[in-house]
Order: sequence, then C-alpha cells, then structure tokens
Amino acid sequence: MTMSKLNKVLMISLLVICTLWLVVPFTMAVLWSLVDPSQPWTADKLLPPAMSFYRWIDMWQNSSLKSALFTSYALAPSAAVLCLLLAAPTAFALGRFKFPGREVAKTLCLLPLVVPPFITSIFFSSVLFQLGFTGWRFGAILFAHAVLFLPYAIRILTVSFEQVRQEHIDAARDLGASHWARFRVAYLPALKPGIFAALLIVFIQSIEEFAIAFIVGSPSIVTIPTLLFSALGQDFVRPNAAVLSLILVVPNVILMLVLEWLLKSANPTLSSGKG
Amino acid sequence: MSARKWLLIAALLTPGLGLILVLIGTVVYIAVAQSFGFYTITGESGFTTQFWSDMIGRKLFSRSINYSIYVGVLSAIFSVALAYPLALWLRKPFAGSMAIGAVLKAPLLIPGLVAAFLFINIISYNGIVNQLIQWLGFSDAPIRMQNDSNAIGVLILQTWKNLPFALLLLTGAVRGISDEVLDAARDLGAGTWARFSKVIAPLTVSGMQASLVIIFIGAVSDFSFQVIAGPTNLQSMSQLMVTFKDRGDWNSAAVVGVSLMMIALIGSALMAIGARLMLRRRLT
Repeated sequence: MTMSKLNKVLMISLLVICTLWLVVPFTMAVLWSLVDPSQPWTADKLLPPAMSFYRWIDMWQNSSLKSALFTSYALAPSAAVLCLLLAAPTAFALGRFKFPGREVAKTLCLLPLVVPPFITSIFFSSVLFQLGFTGWRFGAILFAHAVLFLPYAIRILTVSFEQVRQEHIDAARDLGASHWARFRVAYLPALKPGIFAALLIVFIQSIEEFAIAFIVGSPSIVTIPTLLFSALGQDFVRPNAAVLSLILVVPNVILMLVLEWLLKSANPTLSSGKG
Repeated sequence: MSARKWLLIAALLTPGLGLILVLIGTVVYIAVAQSFGFYTITGESGFTTQFWSDMIGRKLFSRSINYSIYVGVLSAIFSVALAYPLALWLRKPFAGSMAIGAVLKAPLLIPGLVAAFLFINIISYNGIVNQLIQWLGFSDAPIRMQNDSNAIGVLILQTWKNLPFALLLLTGAVRGISDEVLDAARDLGAGTWARFSKVIAPLTVSGMQASLVIIFIGAVSDFSFQVIAGPTNLQSMSQLMVTFKDRGDWNSAAVVGVSLMMIALIGSALMAIGARLMLRRRLT
C-alpha cells in the first residue's frame, strides 16, 4: 500500500472515530438543549417531540452566566500572560545552562502539580488571605492561577530553550548580532511554538480551573466551572446543563481554531533549524 | 562555575521556581502541620499522630487509595499509548493533517465538567447508547451504565480529556527528530518497531515522561469526573478529602491530602524512572 493510500484509510477511520468522539456527544447536547419543557424527551423517541429555544433564553436571562463568562475570560488571558512572564526566566536557566542541581530544580518546578487541587485551594486561600489579598478576590485567583500553572509553562518553554541551536547563536554572534538581534534570529524561531503552546495550555487550565475559583472566589466570584458545577449538582435539570455546557464550550472551540492557526504559523522547520 | 554565573542562575530562577517554592511550600507546610494536629480550627492545637493512626486503620481510606491509583495509572498509560501513534502519523504535514490535529486536540479545550456532562448524557438511562442497544435488539430494557463500579466511565473520560495533552507534548518532541536520523535507521535495516523503540522513543523520552507524569497526577487526584461519572460506592482521595473538610474535620482532610501528595510524588517518580529504564534496557 502506498503512503497516500494508507493516509486515506487512516483518515477515514479517524473521521469515524471523531464522529463518535466529538460529533455524537455534541449533537446530543444540542438536542437536549432544545427540548421544550411542554413535552419530555423519552427514551423511545429518536428526536425530542417538541423543540424550542426556551431553555436558551431562560438561561441567558435568569442565571449568572453573563458575569461568569466575563470573569473567566478576563481571568484566563491575564493568568496566561502573567504565567508566561514568570516562567520564561526559569525556563531559560533550565534550558540553556548546565549547572549542578538542574534536575532537582526541574523536579521542584512540578510541585504545584503534586499538590491536589482541593488542598491547594484551601490552604492557598488561607496563605493568600494572610498576605492581605482579601479585598480583591479576582486578583487572588489570578495570582493563584499564574503560580499554579507555572509547571506547564516552565516545562514547555524549557524544552523550547533546549531546542535552540547553539550554532545559530554562535553564528549570529560571529556575524556581529546584538543581544536583541541574536534573540530574534536564533531564539525566537525555536521558542515561538513553545510560547504559544504555553499560553494555550495556561489559558485552558485557567478557564477550566474549578477548585481555586470555587474556594477562593466564593461567594462573590462566579466563573464558568463553578456555575456549571452548581448546575450539574443540586439543581440538575438536563436541558439546562446542556445549554450551559454549550455556551461554555463554543467560545473555546472558536478560540481553538484561532490558536491552531497561530501554532500553524509557527513553522516547525524553523524551530528544528532545517529551513 | 563562577559566583557571577551562580548569581545569574539564582536571579533567573527566582520569579518562576522561587515563587513556586515560597507559595507551594507554605501550602504543603500547613497541610502537613494540620495532619499532625497543628493549626486546628476548633479545639486545641498541638503535636499528635492520632489523626494518622485513626485514618490508616479505616477501610474507607485504603479503598480510596487503591481506587485513585487505579484511575491514575491506567489513565496515564492509555493516553500516552494512544497519543504516540497519532503524533508519529502527524509528524510530517500532509493534506488534512492540520484539520485532524485540530479535531484531536479539541477535547483539550472542553472543560472537564462539560466533558463529564457530555459523557453521562450519552450513556445515561435514556441516552443514545441505550437507544442503540435496544434498537439493535441486544437488550429489551435500558442498561444502567452511569457510575459503573469499575470506573470505566471515569477512565474513558480521563483518556478523552488527556490524550490531546499527551499528543501536544509528543508532537513537539517527535517533530524535533530530524529526517536524517530516521532515514539512517531505515537504511541500517531498522523496521517500524525498531525505529520506534530504538530511535523515536529514546529521543522523545522527556516528552513521554512529562505526559505520563502530568496525566497521572491529574487523574490520581481527580474530583469532578469521579463525583459525576464514577462509582458511587467508592470515593477518590480528593473526594474523601472534601468530604472530611465539609464535615469540619480539617485534620483528617489534611491526612488524606498529605497522603495524596505523597502518592502523586512517588507514583510520578516511578513512572518517569520506569519509562527511562525500559528504554535503557532496549538500547543495550
């Protein structure tokens, strides 16, 4: 079998898997969100007997969805940028310098991941409140997110810094490039995918983060996950949860397309030095 | 190394690693201290091993540990095992590879709670899977699949959620391998499996370790998938900790929390070492 034929077969099988993986779950969620309260959707019917946008309008008007969206989408990009700025110097040291204790330092960077989210949030909040962050809960969550997701950013950027080729730096230096020019021609092409990947991952982690937002933010701050958790919990109405899930997911999917495009523009051949 | 270089490295590490050490260190310190009876919210504070000895004797606690390790290990292995072939397939761009990459990475952008909802919506008593089973005539009545006692639902959710993450890390690592290396291996007569086990896997071992470790730690301390889709007769360690905390028993919660931290640390170290040892044995 030729390579292109093999790819075709693989593509088709993957399409089938993707259908099961993404299309079916989302179709079901869309259908459930359209169930009109006048007639219930029972198991013997393939489609809901009565469909309307009643649930959508109701959720938009009568829940704290709007403020949750605003909070989450202000929080996540701020946390991503702050986290990247905090992570870059450490990743530079870990990726470009050989020093005794480097492996220990790398392992220590994973500490926030070893602490379970709920214990982190409970004791983190106590620490932050003792430091006087009580007045600004948003700031406290932002700070917590930026520190908690450092391991992801440091890991990814360290790998990127390791992939920067010494020959490129030396060549740039030999050709008389300044500090900034050396960074631009030797470092940046190799770092770009890592920077975007780090921003992407921290953004997603922050959007999804539940424990900190719930413990530190309650009761005044509502984020997307805390709202959904209460919708899936005490007052579980399946069509409402479906509406909420879709409203939370659609902006994420659009964002994914934008970021995928950004990552695509970071040419991988540049980062490996094989232009 | 000169003192000047040490100072430079220390300065570089301060905003990242330094902040982690100061803040997480404080969190861990308070958790450990509470598990030994200090910082008690109500009642007297003071050193005691009572909370540990009480907890270790409880069946609830050991069942919870076993269950969390089961979910953590299997989720990490399933995700990485599925992500490797996909990363290798997507190493070289071809028509449609970008679209496939985007679709595969989609679950990364779906919040865990949404994923849990989508999943239970499908396998629920009157969900589409049950409709299909009845339509095909496998069963007359709907089957109860939600909250299954083997946590298959949780494992499916964890893999669905974490596979894209492993794929993201492994794709980067796999793309870093130059064609010359793979061509040389091929010219020397290495088959597909030999090229993978002797060239690709050793060269991407840090990506593999990072995936295994991060997924294991996330899955072993899972709360939301377990609460929504997990078995009802078992509690994950995070769930158990929250249960104690909600009762106001902070010291017992701290015991569970510290145990969970130790399991995450030891487990991920074992996985990282295991991955490296397996490859070293292959290389010799």
